[in-house]
Amino acid sequence: MRRYEQKVYQLAYRLTNNPDDAADVAAETFLRMYNSLRRFRGDAQLSTWLYRVVSNVFFDFRKRESRHQHLPLELSTEDGEEPMELPIEDESVDIIGHALQEEQKRVLMEAIQQLPEYQRVMVVLFHIEERPYEEIAQILGLPLGTIKSRLNRARNALRQLLEPHRELFEVDSRPTIEQPQEASDAL
Amino acid sequence: MRCEQVRSLMNEYIEGSLSEALRERVGAHLSGCAECRRELRFMRAIWRGLSEMPEAQPPADLHARIMTHVRANTRLREASPRFALWRWAGAAAAAAGLFLMGFFAAQSDGVQATFGLGGGRTAAVETPTPVQAGVFIEYRVVEQGVRLPVLEARMNRAANAELRYAPDAQKPPTLVWQGTLQPGKTVEIPLQALLQASNERALTLWWSVDGQRRVLLVPAGYPPAKLASIRLQAKLGDALRQLASIYQTPIEWQPHGEEPLVVLDVQDATLEDALRQLLQGSAYTVQRHGETVRVVAH
Ligand SMILES: [Zn+2]
Repeated sequence: MRRYEQKVYQLAYRLTNNPDDAADVAAETFLRMYNSLRRFRGDAQLSTWLYRVVSNVFFDFRKRESRHQHLPLELSTEDGEEPMELPIEDESVDIIGHALQEEQKRVLMEAIQQLPEYQRVMVVLFHIEERPYEEIAQILGLPLGTIKSRLNRARNALRQLLEPHRELFEVDSRPTIEQPQEASDAL
Repeated sequence: MRCEQVRSLMNEYIEGSLSEALRERVGAHLSGCAECRRELRFMRAIWRGLSEMPEAQPPADLHARIMTHVRANTRLREASPRFALWRWAGAAAAAAGLFLMGFFAAQSDGVQATFGLGGGRTAAVETPTPVQAGVFIEYRVVEQGVRLPVLEARMNRAANAELRYAPDAQKPPTLVWQGTLQPGKTVEIPLQALLQASNERALTLWWSVDGQRRVLLVPAGYPPAKLASIRLQAKLGDALRQLASIYQTPIEWQPHGEEPLVVLDVQDATLEDALRQLLQGSAYTVQRHGETVRVVAH
C-alpha cells in the first residue's frame, strides 16, 4: 500500500508541481481505486491501472480548477499547437554545479506545467516515469500512433517553452552519450 | 536533407527509432550543420534533464491524508488489511446492533468453503458457538460510527449453502461463498468488501440453502429515511431493493412464481405505508422480524 502511495504521489506531483495538490490527487486516486476494485480484472498491469486512475483524477481536477480560475485560453486546449509563453525568468545563471542542475530541474518542471494536460501527462509518463509507449497508450486509452505523434508535439512544445532558458541546458557539462558527429562539434 | 526535416526528426533520432537509412541521412546533415548540432545538444539536454528528475519527497502525512479522504467518502471503512477485521469477528462480545434477517428452518454442520468474486476478498470465519439457527445480517461496530455488515448462517443440520451477489437483474449473480453448513457451527461472511466493491446503497444477495433461494437486501448503513416520497414502477424485486436502500432497512423476500410489476406513489410515507401500497393486490404480505422486513407469499 505505502509503495503504491509513493508511486501515485510521484506521478501526481509531476503533474501538479505542488505537494498539496499532489496529495489531493493521490487521495482521490485511492478512493477511486477503492471503489472500483471489482472492475480491476488483472488484465492490465496494476501499475498501468494506477497510472490511468491518477491521470483521470488529474484531468478532472484540472477541469474543476479551470472552471474557477479562468486559465488563459491558450493553455486550456487539449492539443496544444497554440503558442505558449513561459514567463521570462530573470534569475542569475552564473551559479554552477548543483545549483545549476537544481535550477534546470525547476525550469523543466515549470515548463511541464505550461503544457496542456494531455501533453503534460504524456511527457511525465514517458520521460520521467519512463513508461514505454505501449503502456502509455493503455493508460490513456489512445492508439499507439496517436501517443507517438502527440508526444512528439509535446516535446516540441516543451522545447519551445525552454528556449529562453537555453543557457541552462547548454552549460551542462556532464558526460553524455554523444554521437561521434557531436563529439567533433564539441571541440 | 534540409534543416527543418532534420529538426522534425530530432526526437526520433535521439530515441534511436529512425530507420537505418534515415538515421544516416540525419547524421550526414548534422556533421555539416552546426546549428542543427546545437539544436540536438539542446534537445538531448532536455531529455536527460527529464530522466534525471529526482524523486519528490511526499509529505509526511500523505498516508493519513489518503486514509482520511477515503474514509470520509466511503460509508464502510477498512481497517488496514482487509481480512484482519474478520479475525476477531467471531467475538460476539464486540458485536453491536444485531438484527435478525429472518429464519429458515433450522439445523446445521461444519464448514467447507470456497470463495468467488475476484479471488476471495470476502472471507468466512467459523465460530464455535451456535446460538439460534437461521441466516442473519449483523452489523458490527468497529469504530465510532462505522458499522460493518456480516452475514451469519447457522443450522442444526448439514446443508449446502451458497451466497451470490446479484449486481443487476441483467447479469447472472456472482458466487461469493459456497460451502456446507454444519450443526453447531456458525458461518460468518463479511459483506463489507462486497459493499465497497459495489458502491450500492443496498446489496442484493441470493442466499440458498439446499437449493431454496431467498433474496436478502442488505443496506450499506447510510442514514435511514423515516419518511420518504417515492414514485416508482418496477418489478417487485427492484422496488424492494429501492425501499431497502431508501429506508436502509434489511428486507428479505422469497420470490414466488412470476415477479409482479408494482407501482408506488407515496408522499412522506413510512416504510410500512410504502410496503402496504406496494404489495396491495399482490400475492405477498409483510412480516416483521426484529428490524428486518420479510416479504412472503400468502
Ligand atoms: Zn541543419
